[in-house]
Amino acid sequence: MAIAAQREPVIVVRNLSVEYLTPRGVVKAVRNVNLEVFKGETLFIVGESGSGKSTLGFALLNLVPQPGYVKEGEVVYRVDGKEVNLMKLPPDEQRKFRWKHASMVFQAALNSLNPVLRVWDQLYDTIKAHDRNVSREEAYEKVRNLLSLVRLDADRVLRAYPHQLSGGMRQRVMIAMALLLDPHIVILDEPTTALDLLTQKNIIEVLKNIKSKLHTTMIFITHDLSLAAELADRVAVMYAGRIVELGDVYEIFYRPKHPYTYALMKTVPKLTSVDEELYPIPGSPPDMVNMPPGCKFHPRCPYSADVCKQVEPLDEWVASGHLVACHLWKELKLEVRAP
Amino acid sequence: MVRKMSIQRYLSKVYRNFVVRKVIRGIGIIFATSTLTFFIIRLMPSNPIEIFINQMMSAYGMSYQDAKALALALFTIDLDKPLHEQYIEYLVNLLQGNIGRSIAISPGTPVMEVVSTFLPWTLFSVSVSLLASFALGVTLGMIAAYRRGGIFDKVISAVAAVTSAIPGYLIGILIIVFIGVQFGLINYMRGAYSAGLKPGFTPEFIADVFLHLAAPFATYVLSTFGGWMLSMKASTLSVLGEDYVTVARAKGLPEGRIRTQYVGRNAILPLFTSLTISLGFIFGGSVLIENVFVYRGVGRLLWSSINARDYTVMQAVFLIITISVIVSNIIADLLYGLIDPRIRVGG
Amino acid sequence: MASARGLKRVFRTFVVEPLKIIAGSKAGLAGFIGLLLYISMAVFGPYIVPLDTRPKPEKRYLPPSWEHPLGTDFEGKDIFSQIINGARDVLFVAFMAGTLTVLIATLLGSIAGFKGGLWDSIIMAVDEVLLTIPQFPLLSVLAALVRLNNFTLAAIIGVLSWPALARAIRSQVLSLKERDFIEAARALDLGTRHIVTVEILPNLMPYIVVSWILSMTGAIYSQVGLVFLGFVPFTSHNWGVMINMAWTWGAIYYKTSVWYILSPILAITGFQLSAILFARSLENVFNPRLRG
Repeated sequence: MAIAAQREPVIVVRNLSVEYLTPRGVVKAVRNVNLEVFKGETLFIVGESGSGKSTLGFALLNLVPQPGYVKEGEVVYRVDGKEVNLMKLPPDEQRKFRWKHASMVFQAALNSLNPVLRVWDQLYDTIKAHDRNVSREEAYEKVRNLLSLVRLDADRVLRAYPHQLSGGMRQRVMIAMALLLDPHIVILDEPTTALDLLTQKNIIEVLKNIKSKLHTTMIFITHDLSLAAELADRVAVMYAGRIVELGDVYEIFYRPKHPYTYALMKTVPKLTSVDEELYPIPGSPPDMVNMPPGCKFHPRCPYSADVCKQVEPLDEWVASGHLVACHLWKELKLEVRAP
Repeated sequence: MVRKMSIQRYLSKVYRNFVVRKVIRGIGIIFATSTLTFFIIRLMPSNPIEIFINQMMSAYGMSYQDAKALALALFTIDLDKPLHEQYIEYLVNLLQGNIGRSIAISPGTPVMEVVSTFLPWTLFSVSVSLLASFALGVTLGMIAAYRRGGIFDKVISAVAAVTSAIPGYLIGILIIVFIGVQFGLINYMRGAYSAGLKPGFTPEFIADVFLHLAAPFATYVLSTFGGWMLSMKASTLSVLGEDYVTVARAKGLPEGRIRTQYVGRNAILPLFTSLTISLGFIFGGSVLIENVFVYRGVGRLLWSSINARDYTVMQAVFLIITISVIVSNIIADLLYGLIDPRIRVGG
Repeated sequence: MASARGLKRVFRTFVVEPLKIIAGSKAGLAGFIGLLLYISMAVFGPYIVPLDTRPKPEKRYLPPSWEHPLGTDFEGKDIFSQIINGARDVLFVAFMAGTLTVLIATLLGSIAGFKGGLWDSIIMAVDEVLLTIPQFPLLSVLAALVRLNNFTLAAIIGVLSWPALARAIRSQVLSLKERDFIEAARALDLGTRHIVTVEILPNLMPYIVVSWILSMTGAIYSQVGLVFLGFVPFTSHNWGVMINMAWTWGAIYYKTSVWYILSPILAITGFQLSAILFARSLENVFNPRLRG
């Protein structure tokens, strides 16, 4: 059920482009992305590997790793009524902004913890780094509450070293770590990949718990569509560095207008329908250094026309809050059967 | 509240497992070395005992019996008894600290006594130099990693590569030639302390000792810091690419804390395993460097005893040097357990 | 059954490709050229620059000049010819010791890794003992008891240096053992000797070559050290002997005589540096992840 989120944007991304300088050439990982993230919502950015979704996630916190850099565009946060352009802040201000207002749970949390420090030390480090005046007892209280929110036993976990915890436990520690300073926004990059299915289920429960209790704005970056189905309010579909479709989760899943989105929905097997065939998407993602002209999906699109091969489509409104970037969406009238 | 494990609990936990294993291994190697020395002394074609007896007989006209008795007194090995009994007696004596008497250097004096006047100097010079070299190398390596590609990195890496290629004792000779002779400091480069100065805990003696330590110290450090530096640089570079460092930066932790607790502590871990190999090398190197500087350590004693054909002292020094290496290895392993919780606390 | 094409391929991967990459790295190229110079010195040197053996006391400790590029020693003999001629012994012992080390280490390491079980335990036990006992003191003691010549010296250095390399080879063999192509070879019942020599060793070749070069530098350290301390009787004039003589005859004390001790030190350092630079650049060749 899509919660009626307040339509107040907390992040506004304008015309963002991120590139990587590699020996092979310039990889245009993120191309002219425009996006608004609304307060309290759970937004999912989905796409294949190499679609640029992780880079977009990093860019939101201005943490794009070398050899990447932000070519143009801006990421503006609306915090406490003020507008903050993260990239324009001096490094020290950025450091303070990060984690306090927006934090991130990185992909493969298995190596995100320092092996030689206890879990408590690493959590306490984070709190101390942002506010020297917090007492040990206060910090402990906070940590304890967060750990119970992610369903971890504080006494057992805090004393331990990372190698003594299971993968799922470490992931939950990272989630708690991201919530330590009560950020308005949390970005989660593939939070459940690299975990077995049972652990995944646990993590999903934890995330649902957080969503209902804290109402934090959450941005998920993943290729796992089933996760989106469970948690998302809105979904943005990325392909070759651009958002090709954006809308309410029901719209995306049942009335996808972009051929790529449509094909994605078709690749997810449904337990309920026995006689549905699986349609993998033929071809492979484009070479991000030498991309084909026009719409980047056209080589794999079963409906591509001449215009698709020459001109890159602009965003168009399908309905309120539903955007698509395709020349032919009106003619195609795509729809997925509802259960 | 969270309580860190006290030193006592740590020690008792570790004792049951990690240290015990290392100590047993160490004892095993000491045992093997003693056996090796025994057989070298006893069974080699030109073994020292027979040479000694022949010498006594030809040079001093002793009878075979008398020479044998003298050999027994000096070597603590009774040639009349069957081999396995000799071996057991040898081991028993060894455990009691009885390793015979000096033949030539200080005839009749228990070897233990002779060695104990030389050993402290070696332990002193080697440990001070090792600590300094390690500290210097590790610090430089980390700086070089953080400033990779810069002028500091290029220069210090080149210097490290060159100095670690030159054999240490040759560096010592160069120091004597270019600094000792040129600046007339040669007197401070011979011996552990000035001749004629009465040993004791007086300030002037201690100052003198450190002046005499300077040249050998410089030699040790110059020849070994390069290896540490290059290893630490590689290790730090690898750690800097790890996820937990990226996360630490993303969390806004102060760079100083990241450098010590997140990068430094993790980067230094692999170096400890190479520490054990270096210890053997640095003790072995003392045989050469102490001779260059005529320093009063066991290395010099080994040389003197070999020249004087004092086989009892020679065998003892060899054993002592090996034991020193083993003991320092155990200490290094203990230290490693302290720093790396993955070893100390099971997963 | 090496076909012509197979040989050409081996030649290309092990000789031409590496040479190309070494040429690209300044340090590696310098090391390579240095090594070639030293090898030429050892092989051809004595024929081109014959050893000056007649003592001429009036020419004692002359400074460098056209006639004597590195000056003269305490007996008036030319230093330059001594350096050129001194290379042979040193490099010969180094080569023998290094080769022996590599052969023993490869053999024992492969057996320990491949066969496992009792073989592994015994070899590793001996390995650990030899690794812990400090090498140079042991060499000194052995040198004191046995009268050494070049061959026996090379032999004992070679025999004492195998533990470190053997360990590395063993662990490489262990990890390769699990790989698919070994399983395939086993399934085809190709026999242990074949598997080890044809499948496993070529993978280790780069590592072995680098270790071989580094073993030689270690052998030089040991042999020069032993000669310097006077533990090995002098068979002829080599660099270690020169250092010993310079040291005992007080060459370090006079400005004019300093060349007598400096020349062999520079010669040794030059060789060590060349060998190490070359070996490191070879490492980069075979381990492309380190490049760039």
